[in-house]
Amino acid sequence: MFQQFLVVLGLTAAIYMLLALGFTLIFGIMRVVNFAHGEFVMLGAYAVYVLQDVVGLDYFVALPLAALLVGLAGVLAEILIFRRFTGDELGSMIVALALAVSLKGAVTVIFGVEGPPISRAITGAVEIGGTLLPKDQLFAAAVAVLAVAATHLLMTRSRLGLAMRAVAQAPDVARLQGISPWRTYPAAFAIGCFLAGLAGALTAPLYSIEPHMGDAALMRAFVVVVLGGLGSIPGALIAAFVLGAVDAGMSILFNPTIAALTSFGIVIAVLIARPAGILGRA
Amino acid sequence: MRLELQDVSARYGAVVALDRISVVVPSGTTAAIIGANGAGKSTLLGTITGLVPLAGGRILVDGADLAGLPTEQRVRGGIALSPEGRRLFPEMTVGENLLSGAYARRDRRAVAADLERVFALFPRLLERRGNLGRNLSGGEQQMCAIGRALMAAPRLLLLDEPSLGLAPAVVVDMARAIRAIAATGVTVVLVEQNARLALALAETGHVLEAGRLVRSAPARDLADDPEVQRAYLGELLPADRRASTNGAAICAPVVR
Repeated sequence: MFQQFLVVLGLTAAIYMLLALGFTLIFGIMRVVNFAHGEFVMLGAYAVYVLQDVVGLDYFVALPLAALLVGLAGVLAEILIFRRFTGDELGSMIVALALAVSLKGAVTVIFGVEGPPISRAITGAVEIGGTLLPKDQLFAAAVAVLAVAATHLLMTRSRLGLAMRAVAQAPDVARLQGISPWRTYPAAFAIGCFLAGLAGALTAPLYSIEPHMGDAALMRAFVVVVLGGLGSIPGALIAAFVLGAVDAGMSILFNPTIAALTSFGIVIAVLIARPAGILGRA
Repeated sequence: MRLELQDVSARYGAVVALDRISVVVPSGTTAAIIGANGAGKSTLLGTITGLVPLAGGRILVDGADLAGLPTEQRVRGGIALSPEGRRLFPEMTVGENLLSGAYARRDRRAVAADLERVFALFPRLLERRGNLGRNLSGGEQQMCAIGRALMAAPRLLLLDEPSLGLAPAVVVDMARAIRAIAATGVTVVLVEQNARLALALAETGHVLEAGRLVRSAPARDLADDPEVQRAYLGELLPADRRASTNGAAICAPVVR
C-alpha cells in the first residue's frame, strides 16, 4: 500500500505543481490574481479535444499545440485586459472572474453543457515494483515534472527569467537596469497560460472534460499557491508535495471527500500559523 | 557625458519638490549635491533617470533632451543610478544583481570584463558572489548597488547616498572606490548628506535647500565657506579642515 501511496503522491503532486506554477508566476510578476486560470486549463483540455478528435491530429502533436494556443490566448488576454490592472489586486481579481464566466459561457455555447467525449491516446499499464501503473497517468506526471523543471531553468538561467524575477522583486529598480516591465508582462502571461493549457491538455484524457472543469483546477492551484506563499515558486512546489501527500494518503485510506476536507483543514491551520504561507513574505 | 539641467522643476501633488534648478556637470567631472534631508537631492536624481516626472524645465545629456524617454531607454543611453537605500533585488544573488545591471548590454565579453573590474574594485563582492541580496551587510549592499550601476557601463553615474549607514572604515573604502570610478572618465553626480565626504570627492558642489539651488561653486570653495561649514559641515578646527581629504575627517560626523 505504501508503494501505491508513493505513486499516487507523485502523480498528484506533479499535476498540482503544474497547475499552481502558472498561477503563482503571473501573480508574482504582475500582482494580478488570475481567477481565470482554471479557464485556461479548461481551454487546454478543449483545444486538445478539437485538435485530436475533430481535426484528427496525433495526441503527441495536439498536446504541445494545445498548450501553445492557450499560451497565445494568455498573451491576448494580457494585452487586451490584464495590462490595465497590473498591480491592482482587487481590480484584476474582478476582471479575471468576469473573463472566467465569459470563457465558460462561450465554451458552453459552442460545445454544449455536457463535455464531448475525448479519446484516450495512451492505454495500458506497466508493472513497477509489484504495482500496476496506468501508462497515461505516468506520461502525464512525467510531462508535468519536465515542464516544471524547464520553467525553473527558464526562470533561473535565462535572460528573460532574470528580467521577470527583477520585475517581480522591484519593478522600478528593474527599470533602472534597462528592463521594461511592459515587455515582461506578456511573457509572464504566455508562460503562465502555456502551463495551464498544458495541465488541461495532459489531464483531459484522464478525466472527462466539461465547461466547469476549471473550477476544481483553480481551487487546487489557489490552495497550493496560498499554502506555499503567493508568488513564491519554491513555496508552491513544496505545497504541491504536501497537498499531494495528503490527497494521496487520505484517498487511499478513506475517500476523496475526506482527502479534500483534510487538505483544506491543513491550509487553514498553516495560514493561522504562518499567514504569508510556507515560504511567503508578508 | 555632459549633464545639463535647465530650470528643472518637480512636484509631488501640490508640493513643489524642486524649484527651477539649473546645474551643469561637465563631462568626466564629479559633482556633489549636498543639502539637508528632504531638500530634494534624491528627487533631482529621479528626474534624471525619469522615475520622477518633470513639472518644468529640460534635462540635456551631451546636448540631447531626455524629454519623453522612459527610464529604460535612458539607462540604455548610458545613465545609471545607484539608488538611495541600495534597492538590491533581495531574492537574487550578488552575481545576479550585478548581471541585472548589464541587462541591456549584448556584448558578453565586455560584460565579463566589467564584472572582473567590479570584483577588483570591491573584492568583498567576489567572496559574497553566491549570497542573496537580502543577506548582505549594509556596506556589502552598497558595494553591490554601486557595482550593479557600473555593470551598465554608464557614462553618467548617479550615486544616491553611498555612505549612508556605513561604518567609518567602510566609508573610507567607499570614498576610494568612488575616486577610482571617477578617474576612469565617468561623469559622476554624488548626492550625500555627508557633505564633507561629497565635497572631498567632487570638483564642484551644489547646495540644495528646500527644493531650491542656493549655491553652486568649486567644491574646495564650498568646503572653506564659513556659512556652508556652519550649516552642513559642522564647526571644524583648521587642522581638521586641512585633513578633510583623508579618511579620518571624511568619517567625522556631520554636526548641524
